[in-house]
Parts: sequence; C-alpha cells; structure tokens
Amino acid sequence: MTRKADELVAYIQERCLWQFASRAFDREENIDGVLTLMGIILSGGSPVLKTPMDRLHFANANHLASEVKSAFPWLKELHKEDLLSVISGVIARIHVLTVKQSMNAELHQQAY
Amino acid sequence: MPMKLLDCDTLIPEREQHVYIKEAGEDTTQFLPVSNAATIPGSLSERGCAFCGAKLVIGGVLKDTIQMIHGPFGCAYDTWHTKRYPSDNDNFQLKYAWSTNVKEKNVVFGAEKLLKKAILEAFDAMPTIKRMFLYTTCTTALIGDDPKAVAKVVMTERPDVDIFVVECPGFAGVSQSKGHHVLNMGWIHEKVGQVEPVITSEHTINFIGDYNIQGDSEVLQRYWHKLGIQVIAHFTGNATYDECRGMHRAQLNVVNCARSAGYIANELKKQYGIPRLDIDSWGFSYMATGLRKIGDFFGIQDKVEALIEEETAKWKPKLDWYKERLRGKKMAIWTGGPRLWHWTRAVEDDLGVRVVAMASKFGHQEDFEKVIARGRAGTVYIDDGNELEFFEVIDMVKPDVIFTGPRVGELVKKLHIPYVNGHAYHNGPYMGFEGFVNLARDMYNAVNSPLWALAGHNIQGGVQP
Repeated sequence: MTRKADELVAYIQERCLWQFASRAFDREENIDGVLTLMGIILSGGSPVLKTPMDRLHFANANHLASEVKSAFPWLKELHKEDLLSVISGVIARIHVLTVKQSMNAELHQQAY
Repeated sequence: MPMKLLDCDTLIPEREQHVYIKEAGEDTTQFLPVSNAATIPGSLSERGCAFCGAKLVIGGVLKDTIQMIHGPFGCAYDTWHTKRYPSDNDNFQLKYAWSTNVKEKNVVFGAEKLLKKAILEAFDAMPTIKRMFLYTTCTTALIGDDPKAVAKVVMTERPDVDIFVVECPGFAGVSQSKGHHVLNMGWIHEKVGQVEPVITSEHTINFIGDYNIQGDSEVLQRYWHKLGIQVIAHFTGNATYDECRGMHRAQLNVVNCARSAGYIANELKKQYGIPRLDIDSWGFSYMATGLRKIGDFFGIQDKVEALIEEETAKWKPKLDWYKERLRGKKMAIWTGGPRLWHWTRAVEDDLGVRVVAMASKFGHQEDFEKVIARGRAGTVYIDDGNELEFFEVIDMVKPDVIFTGPRVGELVKKLHIPYVNGHAYHNGPYMGFEGFVNLARDMYNAVNSPLWALAGHNIQGGVQP
C-alpha cells in the first residue's frame, strides 16, 4: 500500500497546484478537501457539495480522479477499504511534504 | 546533489544557498533555494525594483487609467512601453507616460505642490479619463511627500475623479515582488467593494494574474464568452479601474500568476468567501485541464468539452508539427518566477522539450516548491541569478534556446544562443491553445534561425571571438 501511495504522491506533486497555496492553513484545507473528495469519487460515492469551497474541491478532485484512473490502472482493482487506506496515506504524505516538513519560511507568516 | 556553489561564486559563497541541482528521489523538504531575500552585495542581479513590480506589471496595464509617477522622469520612462499589453480601446495605456518630473529643487523644498499641479494638468489634458494610479518613487518617499493627502484634496475638489495611491518606492523590497504585494493589498483594502458590477450571467469569475500580454486576455475572453461566463474583472489585462473595484461579486477567482496576484485572490477568499482556483493558462494540455475544472465548478461540463474539442481540432495539428521538430531540444527559462513552473512540464508534455536550467528573479520559496516538484532531475534551479552564473550554467547545460527578458536576452544574443522573449513574448499571445502554438512557433524559429551562426562569422575573415 505504501508503494501505491508513493506513486500517487509523486503524480500529485508534479501536477497539482492546490497543494502549494501560500499559507499552511490554505494548503491543509486544500489537501484534505480535494483528496477526501477524490477518495469518494474513486470509490463510487456521491460527493455532497454544499458550499462554494466544496465545489472548488470537487473541481480539483474530479479532474485528478479521472487522471489517476488512467495513469494507475491498479486503482480499479482495489477494494473500497484498501483504496481509502491508500488515499489516507497520500493525504498524510502530502501534508508532510508541503506543510509539516516544508522548508518554505513564508508558510506560517501571519501578515501577508 | 544538494545546493551548488558555482565556480564564479567563490568570492560570494552565500550564493550557494540560491542554486540547486535536483537529483532523482530528492524533494523540497530536503533542499529549497533561499529566495525573496536581499541580493547579496557583489552579485550582479538582474532584478527590477519594487516600484516597477507595481507599475509595470500590474497597474500600468489598466486601459482607462492615468499612471502618475511621482518622481524623476526616468522612473516613468523606464517602466513605459517595455511590456506589450494592448487593450481594446486603442491602447490608451501604451501611448503615454506621466511623471511629476521631480528635480533637485523639489527634493530640497518638497514636491507636493508639484504633484497636485501635475495631477490636475493630467486630468485637464485628458478630460475623458477620470481614474488615476499615483505611485511614489525612491526620491519622493525619501523626502517624505504625502501623496495620499494630495490625492484626497484633489478628489474633494473634483468628485468625479478617483485616485489610487501606491506607496511602494523602489527600495521598499528586495525585488519587483514587493510591488506586487503592496498594490494587491492596497487595492483590496481601499478599492474593492466600491463599485457594484452589472451581473449578466449566472456564472461569474475574476481572472487574476493575466496582463493581456500581446493579447492573452483576448484569447481567454473568447473562451469565457463561449462558455457563458461573465468576467467581473481581469486583474488586470484589458481591464478598467472600476471593473477591478467590483471584484467582490465574482463566484470564483481563477488565478494564473499566483506570484503577482495571489495575494488579492487570498484576500477575496478571506474577506468575501470567494474560492480560489489556480490554473495554468499557458500550455495546451494545461489549458484544457483548467477549463475542465471551471466546467466542474459551474456544472457546465458539456460546454467545456465542446470548446476543447473545437480548439483541439483547430490547433493540435499545428502543435504536433512543431513537436515533431522540437522534440529533444534543451530549453532554459530565466524569467520572473511563475513561468518556471507554468512552463517546465508544459513544454515537455506538449512539445517534447527538456528544461535544463531555470532562474527566477523574484520568485518566493512557494514558487521553488512548485517548480522543483514539477521539474526534471539534473535541472539547475537558481534564485536571483547573476550574469556570471548565467555564463557558467550555459557552459554546463548547453541549452538550444533560452526564454528570458530583454536584459538577459542581450547577453544571450552575444553568445549566439537563440533567445525568445519570455516576458513580453516575441510574437504572442502565448496563453490558451493557440497561444502555445505561437510559443512553439517562436521557439522553432529561434532554434532554426541561420542568424546565430552568421553572427559568429567575421566578414573580414576568421571567426568572431
């Protein structure tokens, strides 16, 4: 599972701008919002979109889900629990790369 | 390989923290160049000043606004006409330069009276124009002039005019980037929310961080029109002053240049709850991706797919023609910041071109996180590169073409290396589907031009050194 998560992380790092927002809180919101919705989409669920931010995350998640489905055929073979476990690993790793261990000194500046 | 001290930098070893060569398996938690930091004394920087970042990049683009520069005339002249951003009202903003033309006597006795006189003179000379950006410069900031007070007096005397003051002298920051920041924050705090736009569509956006360079905004506007999306404000390509005062009414902020205008998108989210969608509007595949996301946001996927199909049918064969001929070429990108990460994968995916070196003048660490994540292993990544570093990196990576600005472009031309203007373009627009074909065409023409070889030929005999 870790290897599968790493493959997805490498793909997301190369392709997605939402993980690199200016401030830590925006990055966290985007990572959790987009990847959680992507998990729902990939596992056949119906996302509930109540707010403009939900629709934003859906826009990013829907496109990413479609891309990773063709880039990583093994996704279709995973059971729902395994799929969500992989996504959970991806979320944790992207948090580490772009927030927790990021060397970007501006991430936590309070003043713009 | 971690951070790299180039041979030319042995006397300024601090530069090691600004140069990185990526190796396979490395990520940005291990190495990230220092950036948005003061230029190290002794390093021949290619940066511009903070005032330039506000005026030349963002404010000066507005098509119905006098750009009054309170300072010596050189500040106005040097930020006029060096970037080609046209407009659909006969290019008002490109025709004129306005300055208070401050002299030594004004430095001694103050220049506020001179400023008021210049403002009134400009409005009188252009009676149909009622909007003004007013900039301080190093000189007038140092003597302590108060342009906001002067603007207030003028707006009281003439209620039909509106003036936005940008207090960002050249020395205010380490690079152009500070000017972007000051203008963004001033605008959101002082002007956004003052005008209520007329809403004509159920889908509305602000398109942020596009400056209509050689018609970029016009290309994108055609897409928005076909999709039935109303753009409340382009920030600031082909835009009016008052359109940008109504930005608070958009449903979505679509951001291209996150460096020059990410601040206002963040603030619009914070203050008005408008979500921010970052896209790349350079790049054939990227453009389709961006449009699909907008389609998903508004639920207009069918319209988006029809547009992509139409544009692909029209432009993809041309793009592929260039791709066949450019595949494997090596490219260097030495621009401001965001174009590094906008272009590095786009040229690789769409044109088969490898980016082997990138230098940013004013990018922040956020920009380096993006570009290192997207860029290749083996590629050189430089913050605030200096001239000697450029020479050394050229020897190291031997690029076939370099996309950079006119300043560094002159240096590159003397080395007889093909150069394309990466700031104001050679023959744009470069955004959108057709734009990337234009970029490919300019790259192809540059790489295959016979002039570079001829330039090295000495007609008096022998080869030019």
